[in-house]
Order: sequence, then C-alpha cells, then structure tokens
Amino acid sequence: MNSQNNDMGLIVKTMARVTIPLIGIFGAYVVAHGHLTPGGGFQGGATVAGAGVLFLIAFGLSETKNRINKTLYSALEGIGGLVFLAMGMLGFGVVFFYNTLWREGPVFNGEPGSLLSAGYLPIMNLAVGLKVYTGLVSALFAIALFRRWKK
Amino acid sequence: MSFIVAFMWSFVLWLVLTAGSKGMLWSMEEIVAGIIFAFVIGFSTRNIVGERAKRFLNPIRLVSFLVYAIGPLFWGMVKANLDVAYRVVTGKIKPGIVKVPVDLENEAQYTILSNSITLTPGTLTIDACPEENALYVHWIHVTEEEPESSELVAGSFEKWARRLGK
Repeated sequence: MNSQNNDMGLIVKTMARVTIPLIGIFGAYVVAHGHLTPGGGFQGGATVAGAGVLFLIAFGLSETKNRINKTLYSALEGIGGLVFLAMGMLGFGVVFFYNTLWREGPVFNGEPGSLLSAGYLPIMNLAVGLKVYTGLVSALFAIALFRRWKK
Repeated sequence: MSFIVAFMWSFVLWLVLTAGSKGMLWSMEEIVAGIIFAFVIGFSTRNIVGERAKRFLNPIRLVSFLVYAIGPLFWGMVKANLDVAYRVVTGKIKPGIVKVPVDLENEAQYTILSNSITLTPGTLTIDACPEENALYVHWIHVTEEEPESSELVAGSFEKWARRLGK
C-alpha cells in the first residue's frame, strides 16, 4: 500500500469539507441536550468521533498525521474523566454524587426542560462526550497507523 | 477568515436544531451555548473548510443555490425519474461509461456538477478528473459514445455549476 496516496477523490474531499463542521455541531447538540432529548455524552461523542473518522478516511493518513496531536488528545481524555469525577465529588459533604448544583447551586438550577437545568448532568455529559470523542479518535487513528498488512 | 465560514455554517445548524426553545424562537441560553459550541467547532475545523469557502457566505450565491435546487435540479430529477420508469417497463437500455469533457475550474464546481449528475437517475458519476477536465459518467442509455460537451448528459447543470461555484 502506497502511504503517500491513500486519500479519497475530489468529490469525497469537498463533501467532507462541507459536512465535517455539520457533524461536529450536531454531535455537540446531542451532548449539550443530553438531559433534555435522546442521546447524551456517549452518543454525541461518538457522533463527533464520526466526523474525525470521516476526516481520516477522506483526507488520508499523512494529512491526519499533521493534524492530530497525540499529547493533546491524551490530555483531553484525561481531563474529561477528571471533570466527571469532580462533578461527583462536588456534593461530597452530603454523599458522593449528591447533585448539589441542582439543590442549592448558583447555576444549572433553572426551570426543568431548559438548557441550564438538571444540576451537574450537562457538565457530566460534556465531560463524557469529550472523553468518548478523544478516545475513539485516538484509538481509530492508532489502528490506522498500524504499520503494514504483512510481516 | 475561514474561521468565520465554519462558525457561521455550524451556528446556523445549531439554530435550526434548537428552534422552538422559547415559543417559536430561541431562548437566550440556547443562543449563548450555540455561540460557544459553534466557536469551538469553527476553531477546530477552520483549516478543513478551507480559505476559499468564504465566497459561499455571499447572500446572492445562497439565493441562487436555492433557486437551482427547486428549479432546474428538481425539474431534472422529475424528468429523469420518469425516463428511468419508462426504461424499467420497456427494458430499452444501453448502458456504458462515457468520458464527458467539462469546462470547470475548481473543486466546488466539480462537486456540484457530479452530485447533480448522480442525483438525476440514469446517470452516475464514477470519477471526476480535474487534470483531464473530464467526468466519467455511467449512463443508462448511451446515445453518443464520445460527447463533445456535457449538454446531453447533464442538460444545463454545467452552466449552473460554473456559476454557483465560481
């Protein structure tokens, strides 16, 4: 396999340029409305990871290598997990995972059904979404980088 | 500059998705969240949409996209579907792959023309070769094996594609 020329044709590339921002914002919508509509952190994160896979397939491995920063993705995945844990620890004075933002917090205690409601759930969804996106993209990128077919 | 294109493009989709959060319109928090998310998406995809994409923010061009979609493209699809229904019933087909010379300059024009050709049944774009100035089209009923222009395969689509993607 020629590693210099493993990208798609012109039409696929141009359509990828158009659709990658749309897939990204739709994934962000699913993540941000996880407490209101179907979906949530994992589904939205996997949707955004779909945009990353589309980039990997349409533009090829060498182009992706220039764009994906291994350290950044690794750090962001860790941050996603840590934010989730921090939200669980927030109401530790009562009990682990006590939703203190919803009961007496300054934000995220709006009318149920609005975006800023449900206490720590939106933040947890964002954290899970970030973790799933970075994790899936780095896993698939690592598989795509696997050296060659034969020994 | 290309950041603004990606930002606007994703923010418009966010507004479409969240319409109705306050009556028929948008509540303030949805708009603010949309700006934040569209900012992130726009920042991370600014190099993907490309520097030249800003020409598609021109409102005249957006209107002509709409005119093209509900005018020539829709009418072409209706005609081509009826034609294919006729060919399904009678079985009069003569399939083949023809090389169609086109006079287009950039990727967007090639994409618009190729997608229009694929959307109208009976013709299917197989490959776009900008270096040969040609499209390879699989045609259900080949009437001319080496066409001089895209008129027979695509009708007025090439003219529209040239104008829309300029």
